[in-house]
Amino acid sequence: MDMIDRYLNAVAAQLPQDERADIVAELRDLILSRFEAKEEELGRPLTEDEQEAILREIGHPLVVAARYRKGPDSLVGPELFPYWLFGVKAGLLVLLAVQAIGLFIHLISGPEDSGRAIAQAFHGFFGSGLTLIGAATLAAAIFEHYDIRPKWLTQWRVKDLSAFGLSDPAAWGASVAGAQTARRTWRLRPAKAWPGAEYAFSFIVLGMFSLWWVGLLHFPGLTHVRLLGAEATVTPAPIWSILFAPILIYALIQMSVDLNSLVRPHAVRLRAVARLGIAVGGLWLTWAIYQAGHWFTLTGRDGETARVAGNGITLDVEALRTLGDGARDLVGVADTLSVVMVWALAISAISLVFSVFANLWRMARG
Amino acid sequence: MSLDPDLYESMRLELRRGSLVLAVLACLRTERYGYTLRQALAADGLEMEESTLYPLLRRLESQGLLNSEWREEEKRKKRFYVLSPGGVSMLAALTDEWRGINASLDKIL
Repeated sequence: MDMIDRYLNAVAAQLPQDERADIVAELRDLILSRFEAKEEELGRPLTEDEQEAILREIGHPLVVAARYRKGPDSLVGPELFPYWLFGVKAGLLVLLAVQAIGLFIHLISGPEDSGRAIAQAFHGFFGSGLTLIGAATLAAAIFEHYDIRPKWLTQWRVKDLSAFGLSDPAAWGASVAGAQTARRTWRLRPAKAWPGAEYAFSFIVLGMFSLWWVGLLHFPGLTHVRLLGAEATVTPAPIWSILFAPILIYALIQMSVDLNSLVRPHAVRLRAVARLGIAVGGLWLTWAIYQAGHWFTLTGRDGETARVAGNGITLDVEALRTLGDGARDLVGVADTLSVVMVWALAISAISLVFSVFANLWRMARG
Repeated sequence: MSLDPDLYESMRLELRRGSLVLAVLACLRTERYGYTLRQALAADGLEMEESTLYPLLRRLESQGLLNSEWREEEKRKKRFYVLSPGGVSMLAALTDEWRGINASLDKIL
């Protein structure tokens, strides 16, 4: 195989099958024409080095083949780049805040291993940050490839722009510090907030939850708690393994509804039907989790265990009022967490029932 | 103040980029194959890399502005390109636009 064939094979491997032979034949003619012109100029056959120099002038096979590609030249084009950059900046700030809060709680709950806690927070931030950038780039690449331009990208309104100040931490600081201009500019006005903000926020949060649920995102500190200076391990009960797929599907369906709401904000009835289904699914999941009765097991360093479980706990307001008064040992903390869990499930069920009725009403009203 | 050569090169390329399509269409009023087209452009002062020219020819053909045919010449098969009827109309329209821009810029400059 001579040099031209090797070069053309490398180009051909990057080209679409249906155009490959045609493009390669044309490039072969170009290369031979260049060789002949140079030989005529020098009055002798070309050496291998001279031939290679001409091939280098024509371009690296990857670059040459890329010029023949149809579709976008970049993963994030100039039109989508500002939106990508905003999403990444805002997402990184949220991750930074989550990690900082986690680190703060870790540091004030016990002075031991603070170095390790800081290292874990850095590790968590960079790991989840890189995942976020990858996910945002993948989303932008899909938008570029299929030429998707949702209405909220093209038909935006000036009154909806206040949320975009959120990616500037200086504006947060100025607003918190009381600078009137910053407050006027960046303060969120609930009544006039961008209607897509709720769906975008829900989509991002559920996306991060789904990544964490499948093990692609890690939040250090979730599987270990500190009790009186000693570390305890949190082990999920079997119900979470049983419900792994239903919970993931539930999150993904909700994400797809959020995405659809962003793309088609005026499809009110369709959204109400979808949310009704999600609320019913959520009620079933809540009931299944409650019915399981056992949610987590805390294991102390000495091997002692305590269950975070229903154990006949009722929705007793008195138990809620004395929540912080329980013993600070492993069993006491497990009991407290059990009460919190029962109340969280109850509140979740009530809000889902409310969501069922609200979406039935939206469906009826249209 | 001295001219930043990198910035100048990037702005020069940006300025030329839009005009290359017009130059290629104009050159293909006469039938040519890629290599001779590139030589003709270079002879008139418009150097163009092969890796830009050949994909551009295919794009213009897929847009219906060029016709092409494989033919043997000098003992080798070559692909010849020429303006299609749609390409002739497009060249006329772009030429008018170019002259308009040129006249405006002449006044400003």
